[in-house]
Amino acid sequence: MQLISVWREIRLRWRRHFTAILGLSIGLCLLLLLNALSNAYKEATKIPLQDVGADISIQRNGDVPEELNGVVFSCSAVTIQHHEIEAIRNMAGVRSVAQAVLLWVFQDDQFAMVLGIEPESTLGPGRLKNYMVEGRYLTNGKEALLDESFAREQGLTVGDSVAVAGQSFSVVGLVAASQAPKMVVAHIYIPLDEAQAMATVSEGVQKVSPFSSQDANVLFLTADQEAIPALSASLSEVMGKDTAISTPDTFLRKLGTMFALSDRFSAAVGLIILVVTFLLVFKTVAGGIHERAREIAVFKCIGWTNGNIRKQIVSETLAQCLLAAAIGTALAVIASWLLSLHTLDIMIPWEMAPTPHFLPGGGEPVFRTVHLPVQLSLPLIGIAFALSLGLGAIISLFCTNRISKIKPSEVLRHE
Amino acid sequence: MNNPILVAANLQKSFADLAVVKNVSLSLDEGEFVSLVGKSGSGKTTLLSLLSSLELPTSGTVSLCGKDIIKASESELALFRRANIGFIFQSFHLIPTLTAWENVAAPLFPEPMEQRIRRERAVKLLEEMQLGHRLEHLPSALSGGEKQRVAIARALINNPRIIFADEPTGNLDSQTGQSIMETLHKVNKEQKLTILMVTHDNELAGNADRTLTMQDGVIQ
Ligand SMILES: Nc1ncnc2c1ncn2[C@@H]1O[C@H](COP(=O)(O)OP(=O)(O)O)[C@@H](O)[C@H]1O
Ligand SMILES: [Mg+2]
Repeated sequence: MQLISVWREIRLRWRRHFTAILGLSIGLCLLLLLNALSNAYKEATKIPLQDVGADISIQRNGDVPEELNGVVFSCSAVTIQHHEIEAIRNMAGVRSVAQAVLLWVFQDDQFAMVLGIEPESTLGPGRLKNYMVEGRYLTNGKEALLDESFAREQGLTVGDSVAVAGQSFSVVGLVAASQAPKMVVAHIYIPLDEAQAMATVSEGVQKVSPFSSQDANVLFLTADQEAIPALSASLSEVMGKDTAISTPDTFLRKLGTMFALSDRFSAAVGLIILVVTFLLVFKTVAGGIHERAREIAVFKCIGWTNGNIRKQIVSETLAQCLLAAAIGTALAVIASWLLSLHTLDIMIPWEMAPTPHFLPGGGEPVFRTVHLPVQLSLPLIGIAFALSLGLGAIISLFCTNRISKIKPSEVLRHE
Repeated sequence: MNNPILVAANLQKSFADLAVVKNVSLSLDEGEFVSLVGKSGSGKTTLLSLLSSLELPTSGTVSLCGKDIIKASESELALFRRANIGFIFQSFHLIPTLTAWENVAAPLFPEPMEQRIRRERAVKLLEEMQLGHRLEHLPSALSGGEKQRVAIARALINNPRIIFADEPTGNLDSQTGQSIMETLHKVNKEQKLTILMVTHDNELAGNADRTLTMQDGVIQ
């Protein structure tokens, strides 16, 4: 009937309704946050790979170089053979593959991390295009990009040439590598085939990890989102267990928080919240009918049927659930905004950005600091409203069965 | 010329083994104002609930407005009450969360009808009860006499054929009670409305067309 009276019902019997509405809205708020937070962690852990435009990165672990001399591989990035790369390219769910060759180059007391990159690729090291500070990006040939602070130390600039393993490359541009994604940090960037050739002729490389001119030692993949978990499993099968296959899940596991760790945790907490709010709403609706037995008897006297009264109580309950859902959503919006101010340090393991131990900061893991992307999606809010209304409908339909037991003559008693 | 609106025969009502109404037979004519008096506990309220379809008798028959209310289903009776009966109670029984006019209009809410029409009808009745200035007030803001006049308006809104009143002045001071009685007499006369009123005040009962006296569950 009278939905206008619902507000008055709440206001005049606020003691009863207040706890239920508040309880329900807090419950819904927590459910929303739980979900948003667990999503946020999942999204956050995509960021390190997203930084390089990839979904998966692949490296193979091997032996440490016998001598830190000339051109060598880091023990965290040894040969991935050409036929393996082609096999990966053809795997279901893989969209594209970018290859790189990471070299440690020791020459005349000097050390440089050299990354061989595909100049035409936008994936992986291709992201460096966004961090140019001077000159132009790499093309094929005897060209090099330098990290700007490395260039400053070496007194080099655009137009000079730089020697790498006895070969001369002309410096065409400077990049701010310190700001670039950690996974592609190096001192010198040269075209992939130059780096491949360098590795092929290096004794230090061949002794530890045989390498031929079509091979690589770092791969970046883009893939269909749904295919990533399965792909990661079949990749480790193909590549062997010494291979580091990094997906967002890898970072998630390293974070180790409850939210990140298990959907089961969220499900269990969600279930508890649901049960508690269910009981709270149930108690309120059932108590309300008990408290209003006399009122219900009056309605019966003046000609309301059980169905009329039930309809009234069900719609009152639904209106309250709607209110609770709105309050809960508002609370969740505020809370998720506050949470998104919170930053999260995602560890990028040393292996993925292997700075040698003798360099400052070498040997330590690096971190990607991100703001938690806590977001309440519209479908999620929709589910919260549906849940609230569903709860209200089930409970009030059940509780209003009692109405038929209230006799209209009760209105004449205990006066 | 007498046209009975309410005919009860051999009514009995027992709660467990306590016989409260014992073999009562009576008849009310259309337009009659009948009062039912008797000591407290003599079974007046119980009899009223049997006659008005709020309670089923242990045995006996009731025919009200031509309907055999013993055989009717619960929802049939609700609709029947909505169409034919008005109730007035000693303790008013207004709905605390509804305003005066909403209380008056409450019997109309289950009817498919524009809210504006419901309100108009309620306002008209409240104005007749000199409560035109109290439309939007909650019962808690009304005096006892005002509450009872709201209750009378609620009882009248469906244009009932009969009103059952259980000690309608029992919670009011004598002066206010007097004015409520005048109102009841007025609607009885003007609208030819049948009224059965329970009271234990013999003076009030005296103004009725007819007085029934109850003692130990029996009409004397
Ligand atoms: N629902 C009931 N259950 C048990 N006893 C009842 C019930 N209703 C009334 N009675 C008993 O019936 C007797 C008559 O009550 P009532 O009809 O209220 O009398 P009156 O209205 O004349 O004071 C009382 O003794 C009362 O206790
Ligand atoms: Mg009584």
